[in-house]
Amino acid sequence: MSAKNTFCGSIEHGITRRAFLSRVGVGSALLGTSGAVHTFAEEGLTQALKASGKRVILLWLAGGASQIETWDPKPGRPTGGPFAAIPTSVPGVHICELMPEMAKRMKDLTIIRSLNSRNADHGGGAVLMMRGRQDEPTVKYPDLGAILAKEHGRADSKVPDYISLYTAAEGRDFSRVSSGFLGARFNPMKLGESMTPPNMKRLDSISDVDHHSRAELQEMLNRQFIGGRELSSTKSHANAYARVHGLMSSEQLFDISKEPEHVKKMYGPTLFGQQTLMARRMVEAGVPFVRVARAWWDSHGQNFETHQEMVPELDRVMAGLMDDLKQRGMQDDVLVIAMGEFGRTPTINSSLGRDHFGSAWSVAMFGGKLKRGVVYGKTDKDGKEVAENQVGAGNVFATILEAAGIRHDKEYHVGARPIPLVNPGIKPIKDVLA
Amino acid sequence: MPADPFKFKQTKEISRKDILLSVACEPESTRLFVGSSDSNVHVIDFAAEKAEPIALDGHSGYVTGVAISGAFIVSGAYDGKLIWRDRKTLKADRTHKAHDKWIRAVEASPDGKLIASVADDMICRVWDVTSGKMKHELRGHELMTPSHFNSMLYACAFSTDGSYLATGDKVGHIVVWDMSSGKSVKTMESPGMYTWDPRARIHSIGGIRSLAFSPDNSVLAVGGMGKVGNIDHLEGKARLELFDWRAEKSVQVVECDKTKGLITRLAFHPKNDWLVGAGGDSKGALVFFDTAGKKTLREESVAAHVHKFAATDSMDRLYLASHNKLSIWELSA
Repeated sequence: MSAKNTFCGSIEHGITRRAFLSRVGVGSALLGTSGAVHTFAEEGLTQALKASGKRVILLWLAGGASQIETWDPKPGRPTGGPFAAIPTSVPGVHICELMPEMAKRMKDLTIIRSLNSRNADHGGGAVLMMRGRQDEPTVKYPDLGAILAKEHGRADSKVPDYISLYTAAEGRDFSRVSSGFLGARFNPMKLGESMTPPNMKRLDSISDVDHHSRAELQEMLNRQFIGGRELSSTKSHANAYARVHGLMSSEQLFDISKEPEHVKKMYGPTLFGQQTLMARRMVEAGVPFVRVARAWWDSHGQNFETHQEMVPELDRVMAGLMDDLKQRGMQDDVLVIAMGEFGRTPTINSSLGRDHFGSAWSVAMFGGKLKRGVVYGKTDKDGKEVAENQVGAGNVFATILEAAGIRHDKEYHVGARPIPLVNPGIKPIKDVLA
Repeated sequence: MPADPFKFKQTKEISRKDILLSVACEPESTRLFVGSSDSNVHVIDFAAEKAEPIALDGHSGYVTGVAISGAFIVSGAYDGKLIWRDRKTLKADRTHKAHDKWIRAVEASPDGKLIASVADDMICRVWDVTSGKMKHELRGHELMTPSHFNSMLYACAFSTDGSYLATGDKVGHIVVWDMSSGKSVKTMESPGMYTWDPRARIHSIGGIRSLAFSPDNSVLAVGGMGKVGNIDHLEGKARLELFDWRAEKSVQVVECDKTKGLITRLAFHPKNDWLVGAGGDSKGALVFFDTAGKKTLREESVAAHVHKFAATDSMDRLYLASHNKLSIWELSA
């Protein structure tokens, strides 16, 4: 056997590449699954989280939730719809009666009521809110998740840097997650109808001991192969193996069944609740950005029936997440955002629906470097226009970056060209930042 | 001239800025009582050259039920309140916080002695009209859907002899109650009225929106919308299902060829010649069915989605409460 025929190119390890691959079972079951979740043990993790920067959970209200039936009610107005407004824990601030739990927690919440994103198209609105701007013909911008992954992800992390859960079929094509010019390294791990990544489990035909042995062999061979070689491709190859190893050992991260019953109850029994609980587990384990898409809010007909179903669920899930993060001491380290691609028209159509609307809508956030109990901006009495402190999608994007511990004026480079994280002149909303 | 579904035309239309959600017509009078999205009941004299409604306040939510019963007009709203008003003076005589959630419908018994209200607390309460006391509290509908979301109790109807009351909810569950005992006597399911979309949009649409007993009380008609592909819109076919309710058996289903959307109100012709449903999607619709429920006799578009209608005893005139519109239709033109 000649050296060139060996996998690592070394005559000392006379194993052919084919033989190596067959022994380690490259494919869906590379490495061990047991004994790794303990590396995410809570105490150490919380400390690590504090040291390594903020995490973000984006509750993506896909299809466009109504601002009037959530954060900016207009009771008694022709546009107001049938729901009442209720007082909150912040004197003078009212939100829709469908959100009694968040009303109690308003003192920890920030609401921006004056967003004019100037886009009421599902795809265009999603790009705008996820990337803070529209792409240029020659530059595709990274979205929030990719930026968080780049800024707060760790090369040695055993978990993915960016996870996007989008189970509903509708709107998934409009969801517009993208790492843009940052490249595939920062693309999200997308989870669709399955809540766990496919092919994570060790093959049944391979014993746990054998599995570990193969992993050790692979690692040893890899180390020897890399020794003395400084090629980026070899490092990338090793990193990819390490990340697969990490992902496989993260299997329990995707399993919420072991969460205590009282914690599961906080999030409720629905899929959205379960996925949001999973998102909390992920950020606790060090994932910088998790997007949980709750689709589909596009209530052109029967808007009030739809919001009767979906807003109480959102209320419970957001309140549960807020309480859970607080109980774990993570409330300052995790930023939670609830927004979609646009809001809904104040005008009620003849199907008792509301249509797409980007001119005057709301975003709600808590945690991170945000002030608490703040309502920023105002719409007019019918909710048709912004009346005070109008902001655009770029301002919200810049605010999220700052609240997540990333300077909004930071620059990346595409070749020699400097690319700022937000368009020149775009500022964060200082009044909501701590 | 007898009412004829093949001879009808609109004779009056009154444009409104509000959404008209319920209507009751006073016998041998030209007054209509119309429940509105502006939280008022509006008294409208449709014979007047220029309608100048009188607004009756007292509610703080959409007024979704108005019924005339004996000496009273009783209205119910999303504020959970029932208000009794004197028919002569129009003054509020009594107000009950009747339900914890939205009242969806208010119906009077044929003898004018009872009022039934249904609400999203999934309870039907039956009231003595004169005393205002609750006679029955009927609990037979689940609070939550099987997918863990709030359910809704949309519709109720008395039998023509007042002996029974039917209630129907979002997931298609129907209960018939004995009005003397207040007990459930029959239950049926009409799952075709409810679309739960577990994959594309993960929420639901539909529900039983209307109920009516046939004149001989042998048949219970149920109205709503058939299965919907895209639940963002009211794009399912308008749907009627007939039950031999004593046998707890579905006997006929008709899905309309032309009409999309909900059937929000049903009424039988007093001689059982036909029955009429109204509702629609963004456009309004009137649909006439043969009483065997085997076919539609006529499907017609009307200007805007019909939330409720009232009819004269002989069914020769319909009053349609619609989105931004009140219209009057003669069936003997």
